[in-house]
Amino acid sequence: MEQKPERPKNYLALAIISTIACCMPLGIVSIIYSTKVDTAYNDGNYALAESSSKKAKNWGIASMVAIGVILILYVIIMLIAVAAGAIDA
Amino acid sequence: MPKKQTILLIVILVLAISSLLALYFLYNPATNTFFPKCVFYTTTNLYCPGCGSQRAIHNILKGNILNGIRHNILIVLLFLVLTYKAILFILKLLLKKEYNNLLNNPIVTKSILVFVLAYWILRNISSYPFTLLAP
Repeated sequence: MEQKPERPKNYLALAIISTIACCMPLGIVSIIYSTKVDTAYNDGNYALAESSSKKAKNWGIASMVAIGVILILYVIIMLIAVAAGAIDA
Repeated sequence: MPKKQTILLIVILVLAISSLLALYFLYNPATNTFFPKCVFYTTTNLYCPGCGSQRAIHNILKGNILNGIRHNILIVLLFLVLTYKAILFILKLLLKKEYNNLLNNPIVTKSILVFVLAYWILRNISSYPFTLLAP
């Protein structure tokens, strides 16, 4: 009998966090891959489970990075606006 | 050496999360202009599943838990998932026994996906019962 490899992580918590942190298209993709991990693993398709796990993780991280970049740009724009006197800080 | 990096990462995460929580406790995202607006909402005028989460966090930290949940129900889902994971982690440490993780059950993960998608669609319907779901 073939030895079962370890169940890959499904990164569901990361996927939900990235969805709630408002970069939603990326977060939803992460949740979709997250659900594929265990379905594939239970079907014995370990390669697909492993690749889905990686994709869930990467899309979650991509979502976080996107939010980080947007936040940094946002802070810079706000600082410029405040400096220009357009908004009362 | 990976141990040292892990500890540093945890310290940075704890500092970042606690300063964010302090920010959301002290300032109301609904009335302060310096909080970022949802990118999806500003471009499409539609609510995303994460809309209202800043107001939700602010209200929950202030003790208005029900009021906060009304802004974004997914906060409850996230809280449940994280608590469940934490409990499993502690049980594993204490009893040195693996439990069946419900979050590895395809039915549970698919329900969560369907729930999030349904929430996204329903909160954009602008007639009575659904307007309760809008942020």
